Amino acid sequence: MLRKSSVSIARDRVKALVVSDRVHCTPDVYENICRELHSALSKYIEFTEDDFQVNINRTQVIITFAGEES
Amino acid sequence: MGEVIVITSGKGGVGKTTTTANLGAGLSKLDKKVVVIDTDLGLRNLDVVMGLENLIVYNLVDVIEGTCRLKQALIRDKRYENLYLLPSAQTKDKTAISPGQMKKLTSELKEEFDYILLDCPAGIEQGFMNAIAGANRAIIVTTPEVSAIRDADRIIGLLEANHLNKMDLIINRIRMDMVKRGDMMTVDDVTEILSIPLIGALPDDEQVVIGTNQGEPVIGLDSKAGTAYMNICKRITGMEVPFMELQNNTGILTKLSNFFKKD
Repeated sequence: MLRKSSVSIARDRVKALVVSDRVHCTPDVYENICRELHSALSKYIEFTEDDFQVNINRTQVIITFAGEES
Repeated sequence: MGEVIVITSGKGGVGKTTTTANLGAGLSKLDKKVVVIDTDLGLRNLDVVMGLENLIVYNLVDVIEGTCRLKQALIRDKRYENLYLLPSAQTKDKTAISPGQMKKLTSELKEEFDYILLDCPAGIEQGFMNAIAGANRAIIVTTPEVSAIRDADRIIGLLEANHLNKMDLIINRIRMDMVKRGDMMTVDDVTEILSIPLIGALPDDEQVVIGTNQGEPVIGLDSKAGTAYMNICKRITGMEVPFMELQNNTGILTKLSNFFKKD
């Protein structure tokens, strides 16, 4: 019997809750923020979705861009 | 000049009061002069956890209203020298005192004590605001549960908004057996989400319940939680102590398998 460990569910739930508490919005709004930031930035910078990460902590919205061309 | 530390969590029932009692006892064991203050007006508990409930004459509200002198309300602990309790009032509510009055009280206590520990009520309302008013440091207690972590995150945000930036995290009631089977978040999971420095992780230890039953801090008993609390006290005073292994190796199967492993 294989089941998804309850920890990964808990982790996802608490992360979604914490982010939506921090920016006072629902989890799907957070998804929208990410998508729109992504599309806005992609007009000027070339990157894939894997290079692009949005983190919201208590005081900042941090956009991490990891796509350094070598 | 003493340090004023508020012990807070947002959510109720995660172990603030037990933590306050044990940190108080532990710090006094380290030869520090400590006073613990129960700021939960109307729901007095810290005295019971410390086994001092029969010695209360005056309380926090009496001191603030000037019914008695500060010295008259302080109860000296039976077991630990240099440990004092300022109990809460059972018949008043949170509106009986204001943040300004708490600030004044703690600054008075700072003159005489090395550590002033404030046991904060659950919630984010006036009781919380009173408790944090005079604090220059905070310890956030949480458990590895979604609701407790979420509340802790809100508390951290509120403390930052009130310019209380010296914060440390205690993760309470960790069950290593559940962590191992992937049914409980790890210390790292919780620390990563809350992103404040970890000052201690406590195993879910029966001895804590036994200690509370007897009105005795677990720090005085031979136990994992007692050792973990003592380590936290040392870290509070600035000592560097390595984090202990939470895993319990004393189960009979582990003992047996360890026995056979030996050459």
